[in-house]
Amino acid sequence: MEANIPVTVQYIAFAFLLIALVLAFLRLVRGPTVNDRIVAMDLTASIIMGFILLYSVLIRKAFYFDIAIVISLISFMGTVAISTYLKLKR
Amino acid sequence: MKELLISILILSGTLFILVAALGLIRFKDLYSRMHATTKATSFGLLLLVAGVALFYSTGVVLLKAVLIVLFIYLTAPLASHSIARSYRNDDREKQD
Repeated sequence: MEANIPVTVQYIAFAFLLIALVLAFLRLVRGPTVNDRIVAMDLTASIIMGFILLYSVLIRKAFYFDIAIVISLISFMGTVAISTYLKLKR
Repeated sequence: MKELLISILILSGTLFILVAALGLIRFKDLYSRMHATTKATSFGLLLLVAGVALFYSTGVVLLKAVLIVLFIYLTAPLASHSIARSYRNDDREKQD
């Protein structure tokens, strides 16, 4: 039982996520420390999860939820790994 | 009615993620940036996942949505704590 979402709503949501992705990329490029870049990468992973969820609404395939699970797992492991590396380096 | 609810959930979720990115680009300090990103992103993804799960509303999709939300809310504080602790060590070393 699937509902009919207006296409305008989906495109506005995609535009919001795209603006958020550009802002996170700007912080990723010019962040003063490495930690700012890690925060920006974490936010980028969340934004890409949102993109995949919205795309699954657009093409009406429910199995794209698995990709969101995998991306959240990989993002968490990458963040903790880089932070631990930075902490143990010195 | 259901379409209206799903549209509101999706739009507000993406709006919260946009606000998180705005805070990431505008704030001055690393702690302020993490304050903006971690909480707003978790809440925005909660709303977005709820909207998309309501769009399908089958049992498997609802179960996966609960799993995603549970995993995000378990791991986002751990990740932000790890980042903050690594930055704290760096700061202390600079002051010495």
